[in-house]
Amino acid sequence: MRTLLRGVLRPLRAFRSRPWPAADVPLRATSHGTGLLYPEHIPTTPLQKALLAAGSAGMALYDPYRHDMVAVLGETTGCRTLKVLRDQMRRDPEGAQILQERPRISLSTLDLGKLRSLPEGSLGREYLRFLDVYRVSPDTRAPTRFVDSEELAYVMQRYREVHDMLHTLLGMPTNILGEIVVKWFEAVQTGLPMCILSALFGPIQLSARNLQVLVSKLIPWAVQNARRAPCVLNLYYERRWEQPLKALRQELSITEPPMHVQGPA
Amino acid sequence: MAAPRSWGLWSFCCRGWSRVLPGCRLPGLRSSWPRGPLGARPLSQEKRATETHFGFETVSEEEKRGKVYQVFESVAKKYDMMNDMMSLGIHRIWKDLLLWKMRPFPGTQLLDVAGGTGDIAFRFLNYVQAQHQRKEKRQLRAQQNLSWEEIAKKYQNEEDSLGGSHVMVCDINKEMLKIGKQKARAQGYKAGLAWVLGDAEELPFDDDKFDVYTIAFGIRNVTHIDRALQEAHRVLKPGGRFLCLEFSQVNNPLVSRLYDVYSFQVIPVLGEVIAGDWKSYQYLVESIRQFPSQEEFKEMIEDAGFQKVTYENLTSGIVAIHSGFKL
Repeated sequence: MRTLLRGVLRPLRAFRSRPWPAADVPLRATSHGTGLLYPEHIPTTPLQKALLAAGSAGMALYDPYRHDMVAVLGETTGCRTLKVLRDQMRRDPEGAQILQERPRISLSTLDLGKLRSLPEGSLGREYLRFLDVYRVSPDTRAPTRFVDSEELAYVMQRYREVHDMLHTLLGMPTNILGEIVVKWFEAVQTGLPMCILSALFGPIQLSARNLQVLVSKLIPWAVQNARRAPCVLNLYYERRWEQPLKALRQELSITEPPMHVQGPA
Repeated sequence: MAAPRSWGLWSFCCRGWSRVLPGCRLPGLRSSWPRGPLGARPLSQEKRATETHFGFETVSEEEKRGKVYQVFESVAKKYDMMNDMMSLGIHRIWKDLLLWKMRPFPGTQLLDVAGGTGDIAFRFLNYVQAQHQRKEKRQLRAQQNLSWEEIAKKYQNEEDSLGGSHVMVCDINKEMLKIGKQKARAQGYKAGLAWVLGDAEELPFDDDKFDVYTIAFGIRNVTHIDRALQEAHRVLKPGGRFLCLEFSQVNNPLVSRLYDVYSFQVIPVLGEVIAGDWKSYQYLVESIRQFPSQEEFKEMIEDAGFQKVTYENLTSGIVAIHSGFKL
């Protein structure tokens, strides 16, 4: 308990002891200087985090295309949950390896040629097909900025980069229905407040028919699978490209979706 | 004799530099200057000394210009909306007060520097147009009839509704000018308005050209404020007026504390939520703190050659209007 507290207080102490241009330290959090925990870090006071959480939640509801607002909401509300996730990653052998080696999924780290050459039905090939068909790129994930711990910032980043993998695993497209299903899965698996809020408020904009399908079939299926499966953040996807998707699904106890969800492409 | 000349050069550089950057804190720099040897100081040391502030960061002067350009390039599209949000609409009153202080009459040639999105220029055009219409009404009431030429001109809409007034909007940033032009088109401002891309430290105009020079919320972003003031002095006609609307030091301790909390806690958050840009708005509030106080800025204006320099605090000193005349 004490070590946990020290770990939380250490970055705050470094924050305070930096030489500031003005005397009133807590009021003037700057976003540059030697106190950064990682390159994109922006230190924020608790008041700023609260304002950011409220503002980003409002803006995300007002303008659903502001994905950066959903990301900011996740960072400002997810402190406690990220710690829980990080701890359970440490307990799992594959998860601990991920935390140590810090792999990143981006166009520069993926070997697209190699993935394309993999046999049909393997995780790598299906993931690449998902990227091609829905025209998404793994580089569109915003970097974590407002998390005040380097390791937790990585956990958040990993969660974001694994999102596309989940689409592949669950067989969901990138339209609003597919995204909501994946959000329900993530909400039950990770417990991040942002996922829970998105899962609850996302369906507001759906048509009645879609809503009915969602509530009667897709959500129960997603929740059931999420409770059965081990934490998806513990999978070292970069080492499992050759593994057949069906085998991976069996390993995670993920069943086929109850109905085919039509994609936007 | 090399020694006395280099000493003179050194002390001149030292004095000039410390005056231009009153708020700059560079603790390491003094110790890096060589003491003792009479020989010429190596040129590289002089280059290293030209550092300035970018918000609370320290950057070289060449870097600052580029960084400021990037800030305004990224905020241009939502500049007006963010101004309204951050100042709760009060910035409109500040700009109106600047115009009322200016009291332009029809025929005034105005140069609005760092005028990007055109707020001051549009207010100026409205003001002189209203003045011109009032003058015409007075004339009509007095004379009761117009000459045939004037009536013909009215019917052909050829009359100059501004009475010869003209405003030149000059800005260093293309994006801000683009937004300004779009606004002008949308709000129907055509006559008496020109848009010029230019640097406040090196204006692309001849000497003695303008009646009034304004710079609203722009001078704190200039790398060399003294050069901008000298340029202002150069392009104004004798009798011309310099007006500067800028954020300044708050004189009330309670308001100052509230203002600090609001600036540093709320404004970057607003920038992130509304414009998706935390860093630009962080720079904005920091650059306000780095700007010299009302008295210091008044002295800088006097150094540039202006006379009868006064300032007026608005909203407890959050904003100040400095005014000087070229006599």
